[in-house]
Amino acid sequence: MSMIMSETAPIQDSNTPAGMLEGDLVKSARKGDLDAYDELVKRYQERIYATVYHMTSNHEDANDIAQEAFIKAFQALKSFRGGSSFYTWLYRIAVNKTINFLKQRRNKNHFSLNDLDFNAEHDPDLVALISDKTPHREIGLSELQKKLNEALMQLSEPHRMVVVLHDVQGQSHEEIAEIMDCNIGTVRSRLFYARQQLQGYLAEYAKPA
Amino acid sequence: MNEKQKQNNFEDLKQLLKLKRHEIPPPGYFNNFSGQVVSRIRAGEAGGARTFMERLEVEAPWAVSFLRIFETRPGVIGAFATSVCLLLVSVVVFSERADKAAKAQLAISEETAPVGSPMASMTSPAFVAASDSTGIVASTNPVTSLQPVATLFGQPGSSSLFQQANFAPASH
Repeated sequence: MSMIMSETAPIQDSNTPAGMLEGDLVKSARKGDLDAYDELVKRYQERIYATVYHMTSNHEDANDIAQEAFIKAFQALKSFRGGSSFYTWLYRIAVNKTINFLKQRRNKNHFSLNDLDFNAEHDPDLVALISDKTPHREIGLSELQKKLNEALMQLSEPHRMVVVLHDVQGQSHEEIAEIMDCNIGTVRSRLFYARQQLQGYLAEYAKPA
Repeated sequence: MNEKQKQNNFEDLKQLLKLKRHEIPPPGYFNNFSGQVVSRIRAGEAGGARTFMERLEVEAPWAVSFLRIFETRPGVIGAFATSVCLLLVSVVVFSERADKAAKAQLAISEETAPVGSPMASMTSPAFVAASDSTGIVASTNPVTSLQPVATLFGQPGSSSLFQQANFAPASH
C-alpha cells in the first residue's frame, strides 16, 4: 500500500520549483528566475485559459490572450506589491486583457469551440436536462453547447465575466469582487441580471419543472 | 412568476452552464503551454527594448486604457479632436486680444505722459535716432544698457577702421 502511495504521490522537493510555495516562487520569479515562473504558469494555466476561453468562445483567441496575460504578469511582477494573492492579481490581468480584446472585437464573434469531453454524455444533470426538460428532445449536446455559447455572447462583458467566474468556474462572490475590482453587491446584482438575461435566451432549454 | 419559480429556473440554468465545464482544449494542449510562455518571455528579453506601447502598458496601464477608448469609440476621437481645436482657437484669440489691450495701454500711457518727462524722451523719435547713431541702446535693463549693438559691419565705433575712399582723377 505504501509503495502504491509513493508511486502515485511523489514527495515534492522544496528545492525544486514544483515543491516551492507560491510566495517563494513569486519572489524567485521577480528576480528573473524563469524556472520559478514556469512553475507558476503551470499551476494556473488551466484556470486562466478556461476563463478566457469561456469569455471569447474561441480557442485560438483564448490561447493568445492567456499567453499574453502570463507574459504581461511576468513583466509587471516588480509592481506586484502582494496586497492580494498572486492568483487574484494574475486573474485581474487576464480579465482586463480579455475585456479589452472583446471591446475591440465587438460584433465580430467567431466561434471556435472546444470539444466536449467524454464525461459530458454521462453527466446525470445534463442528461436529465436534455431528456426531460427540453421540448426538443432530439437536441444533441453539441447543439446545446452552441446555443449556450451564443446566449453567453449576448451578454455584456462584465455580466458574462461574472457568470463565467461564478457559475462555470465556481468562484465566490468575494473573489470575483476582488478580481473585477468592484464591490460584492455589484457582483450579486450583475449575476442576477445576467442569469435573467440568459434565462430569456435559453428559455426553451431551461424551463421550470 | 414568483421567487420560487425564478430560483428553480436558475437551478436549471446552472445545470445547463455545467456543460461549459466539459469543453476542453485539444489533448496535450497544456503540455507545452508554459514552455511557450517562457520562450516568448526569453525572446522578448533577447529582443532588447520593448516597443513604446508595451512599455506603456506595463508602466502606465491607465494611459493605454485611455487610448483604447479612442479605438473602441470612434465618436470620442471626433469629440476630442474638436475640443483640442477649440482650445487652440481660443488660445490664439485670447493672445491676440491680450496684445491689442497691451498696445492700447501703451498708447494711452504715451499720450498721458508729460513731454519733458524721461519716459517721453526715451520713447521719442529723437532719442531713438540718437541711440541709433551711437550704437548704444538705452534700456531699463541694467545689463544690456551698456552693451553696444553689433552692426552689420562690425562693432559700433569701429568705423575708423574704414577709410573714406575718395576718387580724385589725376590731373595731367
